[in-house]
Amino acid sequence: MSIIVNNLTKIFDEKKVLDDISFKVADGETLAVVGFSGSGKSTVLKLICGLLEKDEGEIITSEGDIAMVFQYSALFDSLDVADNISFALRERRDLRNKYTEKELKEIVTQKLGLVGLSGIERKFPSELSGGMQKRVSFARAIVTEPKTILYDEPTAGLDPISSTLIEDYIVRLQQETNASSIVVTHQMSTITRTANRLIMLYNGKIVFEGTPEEMLRADTPYTKQFVTASLEGPMQMIS
Amino acid sequence: MITFKQYLRQSATCKIFNAFYKQFVDFVSTLGAIVANGFTTLKYICLGHIDRKELMDQCVRFGISSLPITLSIVGMTSIIVTSQVASEMVKQGGGNFVGLLVSILIVREVGAVMSGFAIISMIGSSLASELATMRVTEQIDAITVLKVNPIRYLFVPRVLSGIIMMPILVIIASAFGVLTGAVTTAMTTELGYRAYFDSAWLGIYMKDLGVCLLKSVAFGGTIALVSCSCGYEASGGAKGVGLATNKAVVWSLVAIVIWDLIFSITFFF
Repeated sequence: MSIIVNNLTKIFDEKKVLDDISFKVADGETLAVVGFSGSGKSTVLKLICGLLEKDEGEIITSEGDIAMVFQYSALFDSLDVADNISFALRERRDLRNKYTEKELKEIVTQKLGLVGLSGIERKFPSELSGGMQKRVSFARAIVTEPKTILYDEPTAGLDPISSTLIEDYIVRLQQETNASSIVVTHQMSTITRTANRLIMLYNGKIVFEGTPEEMLRADTPYTKQFVTASLEGPMQMIS
Repeated sequence: MITFKQYLRQSATCKIFNAFYKQFVDFVSTLGAIVANGFTTLKYICLGHIDRKELMDQCVRFGISSLPITLSIVGMTSIIVTSQVASEMVKQGGGNFVGLLVSILIVREVGAVMSGFAIISMIGSSLASELATMRVTEQIDAITVLKVNPIRYLFVPRVLSGIIMMPILVIIASAFGVLTGAVTTAMTTELGYRAYFDSAWLGIYMKDLGVCLLKSVAFGGTIALVSCSCGYEASGGAKGVGLATNKAVVWSLVAIVIWDLIFSITFFF
């Protein structure tokens, strides 16, 4: 198993955002975490990669790096694309001085090629479209060859065609790196095109677990409401 | 059973106390963050974990970009003080001491303090807003996830550039202040440059220069540290960036006045 989450609880301002949830992600598997906005999806990712401290439970991850692709890319706007991608290789204590400038350049070119963006090394993030920024952040994430990649709403704010392209790259990166992935999303297309399995969160709890096909067929009020995007059902948006 | 915090939130009669409580908590957490980040930065500096390229970039930013405004502020303060004092001193028969008074004032106080104010407005606010923007756009989270220590990457070159460049700026600004004092004296009184500089040298002791340099090191490091820390701890969106910048400016101003008081009590009481 790449990631094992047991009885995880996270409390913000006396409110349980995650309430005793447990799930596993197998090696090479892509798990989608779905649910309405504010259901704690991004919190799960931030707990796994160590940006937040858990209140209760345990998170066991396999050896190797965990990379994260942020919702709005989070590229370093003072660095160009090449420096963004090679950032970890230049600045991380265990990787600094490991590569020569020539090798770094080759790695950047190779990673940019993987996300279909060759030739933009010297551009700055502000000169790129949202979809291109997202793909550069993919390249930055895989530069250390992580064993686990976390995607936080990878298609948020993108047009349908860019979203499809991003979904294709999620699948392609999974095949190239054989990394386990967790994709936080609320878009049906991202779930069906990228995930092997999914969990649905509501009110801090897992209300459904299964494959995308099982979710589409399931006769539970939660999955029905989510699939049909209905306002009627057990899940109420917090206004 | 409600907690003390819940009681403060619910009770209408305790609104004023609640506001003070929030201010106190904010004060303690800001101070704690500055101290903690300061120790971590110091640790990395002592261990020599310094990115030389980034340090050079920050030194250029700290020194070169802020030089015009620093010279303007110190120069104008010198003109204001000298124009009011020089003619009066000449009238009272103390013309030979105009240079001495202006040089003491500039070297001991005006040079460092006014440069500090200039640096806070030019560099401190920009450091705070830069780091706060990085925080709210998740760039600092990205640095952490990539297993690079954000304090080492962001704080060390900025704080070190403050420590290195502030004394250089203060020396240039103080020399400029003494010179503008000379020009002002020559323009507003019958005293010549010779008389001004003869007395000006008498007012400058090695101890004054040493204290001035020490003070500028403390000011530079403190402004950079406080500004970085306020930006680093920012939260929320655009409002959070604004609040962090505002906090950085206020805390830096208060910090350099406290430093100035400590130096005055220690060396000139």
